[in-house]
Amino acid sequence: MSTPLLETRNLGVRFGGLQALEGIDLQVHRGEIFGLLGPNGAGKTTLFNLISGITPASSGEVLWRGGSIGGLDANRIARLGLARTFQNLRLFSSLNCRDNVLVGMHRQARLPWAAALLGTPLAQRRQRELKDRAQELLALLAIGHLAEQNAAGLSYGDRRRLEIARALANSPELLLLDEPAAGMNPGEKDQLRDLIRRLRDRFDLTILIIEHHVPLMLGLCDRLAVLNFGRRIALGSADEVRQDPAVIEAYLGGSR
Amino acid sequence: MVDATLLTQMVIGALLGLSVYLPLRCGQLSLATPGFYAIGGTLAALLSTRVNALGGSEPSYPISSVLLEMALTGALCGVLASGIGAVVLRLRGVYLAIATIALVEILRVTTLNQEALGGAVGIFGIPQPFDDPAGYALFGAGLLAVICWLCDRLERNRLGRAMAAIRDDELAAACQGIDTERSKLVAFVLSAVVAGLTGVISAHFFNSWNARLGNFDASITTLAFVVFGGSRTWAGPVLGGLVLTALPELLRPIGDLRLIVFGLVILVGPLLLPQGLVNPSLIGWLTQRRP
Repeated sequence: MSTPLLETRNLGVRFGGLQALEGIDLQVHRGEIFGLLGPNGAGKTTLFNLISGITPASSGEVLWRGGSIGGLDANRIARLGLARTFQNLRLFSSLNCRDNVLVGMHRQARLPWAAALLGTPLAQRRQRELKDRAQELLALLAIGHLAEQNAAGLSYGDRRRLEIARALANSPELLLLDEPAAGMNPGEKDQLRDLIRRLRDRFDLTILIIEHHVPLMLGLCDRLAVLNFGRRIALGSADEVRQDPAVIEAYLGGSR
Repeated sequence: MVDATLLTQMVIGALLGLSVYLPLRCGQLSLATPGFYAIGGTLAALLSTRVNALGGSEPSYPISSVLLEMALTGALCGVLASGIGAVVLRLRGVYLAIATIALVEILRVTTLNQEALGGAVGIFGIPQPFDDPAGYALFGAGLLAVICWLCDRLERNRLGRAMAAIRDDELAAACQGIDTERSKLVAFVLSAVVAGLTGVISAHFFNSWNARLGNFDASITTLAFVVFGGSRTWAGPVLGGLVLTALPELLRPIGDLRLIVFGLVILVGPLLLPQGLVNPSLIGWLTQRRP
């Protein structure tokens, strides 16, 4: 089998006396939609933080296309082509929607500094292209009409969509979505499932997704891993995970 | 009422306001501006009084020498700020403010105790490139215009957007691939260079220079320019610097009452307009009227 796009080997992190994650082995392959399930506090977001370089790992390593990216800063990891959204929404609240997306294009927006400073025709053309692309991404997420609006004034669902647009702006290979459906109504959740599939196909993405809505996850993901108390308790296709005794016990409680 | 001398002081205020504003746009509360202002002033004073080759003995000091002083000051402040910034910018929020106040005090006490740097007496007889205060006002306004233009360009391009993103949410900015440490350092260095260049103009304008010109009081005054004017765009600190420098002079006719009025303005301004005179709603209003 080819090298996985993203792999974690024996990954763990300890916060003081709390072992938040322990011995996590995952392989995410190119083009996959890979789901992370688990009860609250299982360590799903912590795993995202380790992968995206926000929290340093205490043990084990993260591999990107087979090479270790342990110890790299968050900005270096983002520039490798790995973008994420945040569970608790971290938009740039003083900027409008388009500028939020433009910040997401930081990696592509590079220009010779003199050209950027003087606003040469080249710089102006580049700037227009970036703005057009930002507008396209906003339209794709159905928030094109909000481009000039301040991010702070958006509805909850629109803010979630803006986070996805900003992450896509980075032209990532791997997209980490942290509870994208939180706060959305059932209709919006259905749309979200179709949207995520469309995004994968259109941008050639690999997607790692955390979500609590189990039916959405079982219908969407090619493979899933289930975490509980910082450990991986199950891994496999939707059907395999659904029938796994350890998963049933974690979600419904076991009989002792 | 507003003569060329006051105009020059106002321009100097606006320039110092911009110097405080630049790191603040990145969310960094640095009060180091008077420190670099003092470095610029001291360097200009030393060069123009002790180095004869620059033309200090001539009746009119050549402007080319002033420009040379500015180039040297810009380079020195830039190099110093890169070194100091790499260390102090690891601190956040109020801790950064305290560290930069310490920097200002270290520079002040060092200058005060080094005879070579002027000591407690200061440096006198700094030669004048202009016979008339209007010359200083024009020269300063020219520098202010250039720096405003640079800030405007900066705010519209990639680095400016990155700086605003860091101010809003540093962690999320890093996750967009922004090298946050580097962006903050660039802002700090630019701030130091602007302050240093302003010091050079001031030294010639004041005719003398001493350690008291770059002290903690100046840190607070320059910060007030930005708080009063607003830190959303470069126009805020410029307006704040111009108005708050002019106000005590314009209020002179009302005698001692002027200090009370000045204090009230500083107090009431942020209460009524917490984001400054040039605030987001004003900017929104102005940009919407423009097609």
